[in-house]
Amino acid sequence: MAIEKMALVNIIGRFEDLDETLMRCCDSGCFHIEPAFKNEANSTVRLLNEKNPFGVPLKEFASLASEMDIKLTEAPGTRFKGWTAEQFCELSDNIDGEIEEKSKEKQRLAKEVSELEGAVLQVDHLRGMNNDFSKIFACKHTACRVGRMPADNLAKLQYYDQTFFFVPFETTKDFCWGMYFCAEGDKELIDSIFRSMFFERIRIPDYVTGNTDEALKKLESQIKEKKAQIEALDKEISQLAKKHDQTVLEAYTALKKRYDIFELRRKVGAVKEKFYIKGFVPKKNADKFSEGFKDMDEVEVVLLPADADANITPPTVLKNGWFTRPFGMLVEMYGLPKYNGFNPTAFVAITYTILFGIMFGDLGQGFLLFLLGFLISKKINKPAGGMVTRCGLSSMVFGTLYGSVFGFEELLDPVFENFGVDFLPLKIFKQSTFILLTAVGIGIFLILVSMLINIGIGFKEKNYEKAIFGCNGIAGLVFYASVCVGVVCTMMLKIEVMSLPFKIFLIVIPLICIFCRVPFSIAVKYKKWRLSEDEEDMTIGGFIVENFFEMFEFLLSYVSNTMSFLRVGGFVLSHAGMMMVVMTLMDMTASAGKPVTLIIGNLFVMAMEGMIVAIQIIRLEFYEIFSRFYESDGKAFEPMSVSFDTEVNV
Amino acid sequence: MLDNYSSNATTAKIRAKYAQLFTPEEYREMAALRTVPEAAEFIARSARFKEAFTEVDPNTIHRGYLEELLYRENFETYIRLCKFQGLDKEPFFGFLIRRSEIECILSIINRINSSLDRTYLSDLPGYLIKYLSIPVMELSNSQTYEELVAGLKGTRYGKVLGRIPVREDGNADYTECELRLRTDYYAELLEQADKEFGGAVSDELKTMILREIDCRNIINAYRMKAYFGYEPEEIKRRSLKFYGIGKKNMERLYEAADAEVMMDMVNHTIYGKNSPDTDNIEVEINSVKIRRLRHYLTGSTYAPVSLYAFIQLCDIDVSNLVTIIEGIRYGVEAAAIEAQLITL
Repeated sequence: MAIEKMALVNIIGRFEDLDETLMRCCDSGCFHIEPAFKNEANSTVRLLNEKNPFGVPLKEFASLASEMDIKLTEAPGTRFKGWTAEQFCELSDNIDGEIEEKSKEKQRLAKEVSELEGAVLQVDHLRGMNNDFSKIFACKHTACRVGRMPADNLAKLQYYDQTFFFVPFETTKDFCWGMYFCAEGDKELIDSIFRSMFFERIRIPDYVTGNTDEALKKLESQIKEKKAQIEALDKEISQLAKKHDQTVLEAYTALKKRYDIFELRRKVGAVKEKFYIKGFVPKKNADKFSEGFKDMDEVEVVLLPADADANITPPTVLKNGWFTRPFGMLVEMYGLPKYNGFNPTAFVAITYTILFGIMFGDLGQGFLLFLLGFLISKKINKPAGGMVTRCGLSSMVFGTLYGSVFGFEELLDPVFENFGVDFLPLKIFKQSTFILLTAVGIGIFLILVSMLINIGIGFKEKNYEKAIFGCNGIAGLVFYASVCVGVVCTMMLKIEVMSLPFKIFLIVIPLICIFCRVPFSIAVKYKKWRLSEDEEDMTIGGFIVENFFEMFEFLLSYVSNTMSFLRVGGFVLSHAGMMMVVMTLMDMTASAGKPVTLIIGNLFVMAMEGMIVAIQIIRLEFYEIFSRFYESDGKAFEPMSVSFDTEVNV
Repeated sequence: MLDNYSSNATTAKIRAKYAQLFTPEEYREMAALRTVPEAAEFIARSARFKEAFTEVDPNTIHRGYLEELLYRENFETYIRLCKFQGLDKEPFFGFLIRRSEIECILSIINRINSSLDRTYLSDLPGYLIKYLSIPVMELSNSQTYEELVAGLKGTRYGKVLGRIPVREDGNADYTECELRLRTDYYAELLEQADKEFGGAVSDELKTMILREIDCRNIINAYRMKAYFGYEPEEIKRRSLKFYGIGKKNMERLYEAADAEVMMDMVNHTIYGKNSPDTDNIEVEINSVKIRRLRHYLTGSTYAPVSLYAFIQLCDIDVSNLVTIIEGIRYGVEAAAIEAQLITL
């Protein structure tokens, strides 16, 4: 239960081998890349930041696929191995050329259909006009235009000096349908005026004669004919699509990979004609990784210790055993420890499992949770399922101690009587005080353990403020433990332990150490007396004020964090209480309904209590426990990879 | 207390509307389209413009009308928000109408100076007509500057334009007219922000308005330096006399040796920090502006502040959409179109 050891890897080679090197790094599945250099002005070394040449052909192929209605799926192949961006562009132009003509024709027909449908709408608005269209349009000295214009522009008409008149037929919220008449000689000017007002002229074809109804029939038959032509074109395009679909899919797949590999270049350094790649691999995979490049003569792989470069922090991979592995999910949720930090997963696994068992304790419900965990593990999420099985087992153990089986508190009594165990099972409501006090006791124990962990980490890091003088260091541990012992002995055991020496050496002196933790740690480390780490001198007054409020915060946190664990006992009581309600409801129901009430009641309590308890323990872990020793400033291990994606974000 | 509640309701509504603005990913997707009808269809499907495009056929819509619909939706959103809690009763909230009036008047002056045959009527956005307080359609037929000023008699604009000297050819200097009208507009806006609102609201509004003016001054000063070689004194004369970063600091920018030095100095101010690396001054300055406006929009609980910031963001959104539409129309490459967009 530690952190995976890493090895720093430097890869140097010639530019010609860069893509192949990056591809092999991705294929290894264990290489975490870091920027090779810091990009600084006037530096001879720089990170590669070239424009990705595969972006344009990738977009073109995506566009082609969309036009030909080809669903993008991964289609690996070797046809396009080693192709350049220009070759891909040429291929896409060739394919596009074949369908462009048909697409253009289809668009033209679609536009015509649109216009005809517009004409249908227009003519529809002219119902009731029983005159023959052809007679209106056949006028020699008068020009007539039918169409629609934005209703907003109607007000402008009266301000034009030119001679025309507009007859509105129907006005909706946005448009007004109508027709305008003007002298034949003025039609160009009047047309331009109406065009400037976005008048959409609906050209009623010459063959549309007769009155409105006859016109509509003719228009509809034309629309039907053109739609049939569009359908035929669609069929031709889809045949072309079938002809080219495999090519498009393979080209797209190859391009996506080349594009993604090229994007990875942004972290690669360049010096003259050579590239530099820097990254980390787990130490156990280092040799295998290095061997993957043996056949590339011009590429050199150098393995170094993880801390060889002070500018880069190695990434963190938690190394956990079988029992603790699922709980890594919780630690990752909070944040990873730094590379040479402490892996708290085992601690979380044990405390989480035990606390869950205590708060949820029921043999029957625990068993169901245990089974549910297997199901979740197989179907939904392995770590979550693993956590649920372990918590289920713990619930079964504590459920046995409480003597609770699906809410039946008396079921296990004969079993314990047979074994001659008097003090079990634990009757929740009869021993509620004991349960609450035990919960607080568990809290005190966990806080003390957390402080011990913090002290260990502090000494390992040679951080004496943290290890000795801090509120979670030796001073804090002594103070907290002494106060707890003093309170327990005085109030519960009626033993007077809080003598003057006790108070002075175990309470006052640790408090002074905490108050003066910064100057004391500076004195130990640098052998000189300073009130603060900063360059600027801190005044005594400022020091006292700042540390007074911090002390207040520390003392409050001791009390609040301890009391917070009361919720453990609280949830034991609430679980028992809810099951009592289920039992009462069951008693009130008729015989036929009892099993149903029992099942529904248990399921409801399992779901609700289960979720609440899980969340409450996470809160205890993250806030009460982690805040004492855990620093999550680690970096996640993200092995390089390229994966197929149909989204083109170029 | 009830005023606070209505302010909160308006700010909540504004934030909901803000979520409908186009994202950079949507701009990117749109810039990759090939034709204007495709772009129109893309816009018509968006939550923001769906209603505005109900009766529109994307296949046949004229590009000019498409752009006008976008501006119209901006304007009508503004009107709806002002009416929502009766905010339009306060004179400050007429800011967009006044700005539109100034733009109409300037277009008419430009037309008179250019001696174009067509009247301004053809270019006048139809959706504005019922909201403007000036008789813009009558004014559209003005043939001379004096006619225009006479038509504006009794209005604030008439007083401002009346003081501008007329040249020998009977026209007035367009840039002088623009400077005076905008000066009057911003002076009135700042006064209203001061008088109609108290304390923090007034402070936030005035800061936002002054920063908007600063951005305008910086962009204009850059253009004058880079493309026209104007001297600092000339630049000072042609700039708005309101300063967010202080008069001395702004004048220092005007006095920079050349446009490059000026931009270098701007990059050390709040208007240039973390700005994108681009050659386009408007993109650079306005990209930083978006960040500030978002901060006001999401952080402020005052309706006037949120509304003012939101309307500016809407303007930027529509400006981006128009850039994309025109780029598609003229066959510009997607990457080149994206370089002209104002985004975070």
